[in-house]
Amino acid sequence: MSRRQRARLFRGIQYGALVVILVVLAFAADWGKIATSFLDLDVAAELFPNVIVIALKNTIIYTALGFSFGIVFGVVLALMRLSSVGPYRWIATLYIEFFRGLPALLVFLAVGFGIPTAFPGTLIDRMVIITLALGIVASAYMAETIRAGIKAVPKGQVEAARSLGMSPARTMITVVIPQAFRIILPPLTNELIMLVKDSSLVFFIGSTLDQQELAQFGRQALSQYRSMTPFVVAGLCYLIITIPLSILQQRLERKANTTAKGGK
Amino acid sequence: MARRSRHQVLALLPAAALLLAASACGGGGGTTTANGVQLAEAGKIKTCTHLPYEPFQFKEGNNIVGFDVDLVDLVAKDLGVKQEIVDGPFDTIASGQDLNINKCDVAAAGMTITDTRKQNFDFSSPYFLATQALLVKKGSGVTNLDSLKGKKLGVQADTTGKVYAEKNTGDDVKKVTFEDLGLLLESVKNGSVDAAINDDFVLKDYARKNTDVEMTTAFNTNENYGIGVRKGNDALLKKVNEVLAKAKSDGTYATLYEKWFKEKPKQG
Repeated sequence: MSRRQRARLFRGIQYGALVVILVVLAFAADWGKIATSFLDLDVAAELFPNVIVIALKNTIIYTALGFSFGIVFGVVLALMRLSSVGPYRWIATLYIEFFRGLPALLVFLAVGFGIPTAFPGTLIDRMVIITLALGIVASAYMAETIRAGIKAVPKGQVEAARSLGMSPARTMITVVIPQAFRIILPPLTNELIMLVKDSSLVFFIGSTLDQQELAQFGRQALSQYRSMTPFVVAGLCYLIITIPLSILQQRLERKANTTAKGGK
Repeated sequence: MARRSRHQVLALLPAAALLLAASACGGGGGTTTANGVQLAEAGKIKTCTHLPYEPFQFKEGNNIVGFDVDLVDLVAKDLGVKQEIVDGPFDTIASGQDLNINKCDVAAAGMTITDTRKQNFDFSSPYFLATQALLVKKGSGVTNLDSLKGKKLGVQADTTGKVYAEKNTGDDVKKVTFEDLGLLLESVKNGSVDAAINDDFVLKDYARKNTDVEMTTAFNTNENYGIGVRKGNDALLKKVNEVLAKAKSDGTYATLYEKWFKEKPKQG
């Protein structure tokens, strides 16, 4: 048997095995039960329009709040970590390592219950707590991404700006940071997608019916209708947000690549 | 080193941001009063619960309804405010966290009065008598805890059913903990656990709507449900107890009971 024949045989065996596995799975699974439990169209129909006008909307709002806070605070942290002042560097490093190392759920519980405990009597708005909790998680990750972006801006850019008479701060704001963001757009989109899913943790802060986000909406409906269908519907709604973001990310990545290669 | 020093001015930026963040946290409102009773937010009594716990609280259309909801509505009516229901995990309700951070004024979640929970917050006088029971698949042959040896028993996190199961079964009964009641009941249905332990009225309600499962043993744990109120908010506690007593004496309680449980109340 020639090498090519052998390769073809192996490939044939692999395809064959795949087909066998699929056939066995198809026959072994109880499709009737899966269909009634996961794809109950009557239940799915009852979820509309609230799954869109309440749950999807809130997921987007919570994510946007967390992302905005995360990006602003992420820049601050990145600058602190690049700072020449020791304490700033130490604080930023400590913060990043701490919150990047903790499960987001623990951060949520700490913020959601810690802040009201620490400032008793003050009624801090729920949105502020959500923004802080999601933002703290996001900023720890984003700070590192942003720092990498700032460092990736060619040194010549800074030197050119400084020789034009720009102050260090101005150089940073008008020259370095805009270029840094262009470099890190793809990884930032990644953070955004992660954050969409982390927004499900808002459940632990508690919400009224019109404050529910997708995961909580699905959970509550799951128990309500005794069907797994709400999870499927909620899952599809997450994909409505995340897949366009992924496509956007791929586009940006391609664009960044061509720019890096000299715009051609 | 030279490059670093250029960022020195910028270093002031994070400091300013930190200061701003710190000062922003200090703000916020306080508590308000309605008829001499302290409430977390003006014009409403906020109720913490974990949805759904049918027939005590569950979603119907766009509203949350149920026995507990109706009872707290009586309190709200008496205070001249509206009830707002906040849904969250049961563990932070039962541990008293939700009440202590002013997330809610009361906790009404089909919650049994226990000594442990009493240390964390105050309970109203009992308003419902329940007991632990087992839900199994029809014809499974599981009738009591002994027949569960070597099998899996589903429990709900932080519930008295879980505590009862842990106390009264050995290691030979595998306990599987679920966060939601729905997931617990679903697991009995799809056979991933052999039985589930929870409060009898909830299981009865479920078995009524799902013919492939049945409630078998009730354990006569005789648990009293109470409404949780933050320690120190005695005016509200007094008000809740007044409203409950009045409802029991004027027949409102019995009417609501029959409405949600399709039977006459076991107690006063």
